[in-house]
Amino acid sequence: MVVCSVVVRRLLAAAPAAPRHVFTGLRWVTSTPVKFTDRKYTDKHEWVQVEGKIGTIGITHYAQDALGDVVYAQLPDPGQEFSQMDECGALESVKAASELYCPVSGKIVSKNTEVEDTPGLINKSCYEKGQLLLTAHS
Amino acid sequence: MTFWNQGKALGRWALRAFSSATRSSRSATPKTVFISQSDDIFANLALEDWLYRHHDFSQHRILLLWRNGPAVVVGRHQNPWKETHVGALHDKQVVLARRNSGGGAVYHDQGNLNLSFLTSREGYNRRTNLTVVANALRREFGLEATVNDRDDLVLNGNYKISGTAAKLGRPNAYHHCTLLADVDLDNMKGILNSDDCGIETKATDSVRSPVCNLSSMHPGLNVASLMGAVGREFLRSDDRGVDLGKSAISRQLGFTLVNPTDDWFPGLEKSRAELASWGWRFGRTPDFTVRREFAVPREMCVTEGAKLQVQMRVVKGRVASMSVTVPPGFVSNAPEGEVAVLSGLEGQKFSEEAVGLVEAAFAKKDKSDKKKRFVAECVRRVVQ
Repeated sequence: MVVCSVVVRRLLAAAPAAPRHVFTGLRWVTSTPVKFTDRKYTDKHEWVQVEGKIGTIGITHYAQDALGDVVYAQLPDPGQEFSQMDECGALESVKAASELYCPVSGKIVSKNTEVEDTPGLINKSCYEKGQLLLTAHS
Repeated sequence: MTFWNQGKALGRWALRAFSSATRSSRSATPKTVFISQSDDIFANLALEDWLYRHHDFSQHRILLLWRNGPAVVVGRHQNPWKETHVGALHDKQVVLARRNSGGGAVYHDQGNLNLSFLTSREGYNRRTNLTVVANALRREFGLEATVNDRDDLVLNGNYKISGTAAKLGRPNAYHHCTLLADVDLDNMKGILNSDDCGIETKATDSVRSPVCNLSSMHPGLNVASLMGAVGREFLRSDDRGVDLGKSAISRQLGFTLVNPTDDWFPGLEKSRAELASWGWRFGRTPDFTVRREFAVPREMCVTEGAKLQVQMRVVKGRVASMSVTVPPGFVSNAPEGEVAVLSGLEGQKFSEEAVGLVEAAFAKKDKSDKKKRFVAECVRRVVQ
């Protein structure tokens, strides 16, 4: 649990809006089913916001800032299935391809094609227009 | 122990030895230089990937040195048909590969040295790595190289001698770069294409720069001497690229020859096969549209200056749709400017294979052999 608190402190220091719920990739903090929750964050700087069984996924402000200008977004196709923390895509910026990790297990419902057309949306609006994926989590 | 087994054991020891090595007082993570014994681009890319996925770099850094036979290597999100004449590579005995990192297209041959700096995500720093390379060139060859704002190494402020790309994951990352020691530059210029091929795509572009070989500035410099120079500089530098002196080399884990096979690295063959597959090299191309116009020979049409247009939508390297717009009078029993949609091509690979099908499809519309061959030739030029 010491490791957990270190990860939590690091995330809280990095994220602009302090998250109320944080998970370390091992388990959800809230165990009761909820209809709508705030964003949850991973230690790989993705976030997921859950509404019912559908999760919206993106990367954090810290991550987009560290990447620099995103020039290409490679997102998984609808129908593909991933386990939690599988590599599911990549974002390219300044000659570096950064892996995207799927923060929840499930099937991709849709990808944000606007971000594929205009990758800069990820830098400008990583929580709104620059969202990446919708998943139906298992 | 046979010589072969000794080599394998040494390789495995080198991978495990980091756990018992201690940090020096000046923050120099234990380091090893691996030299690949293969010149197969796919095996070397698979080796780099194996180390990235399986090795613990929290207390260890590896510089992997490798070189390949003639190859064009495109970045992860690039369009190979935009970067080179794909159809011509086979005759020139050049293979096409796609790497996992970003960036633009490069040409490899035996005169090019590849360097992969493998670290933890926290240890990733491109400029530090390039500074180490620049220091090696200065120390052993008296060459002054600088790192520009695109993280390219340039000689005398003008000529690019190295291109850089990177892959960032968690927990590991790597930065790899090329070094032009003694590359056939004429061959390279002929192969890396900058013609307008009518492709519209969101794929990442290459940025062209004037290049030169290091051997042109220092006669006698070759890949072997470069390997030694860069490897030694890597071993004597700390994590920030600061030189710790020659004696630091002996405190590190030295040079090791490695062989990228399943014997040495279990599971590597599967990765190699994936990297060599059509699906990875061409099927991973971002979707694109290609549109080209061709002047129609006077005897095949009724007006001067008539053009035939070929348009294709290509998804995952395969033809999703195609249309040929013909000038008035080109197709004998068709009204003016008919857009001939050639069905039966959907799902075909964007390659010479599609051309044969086009010929057959067009023959049904017009009996003229000449016109059929002309249309096929236009399509052939589009898919190359």
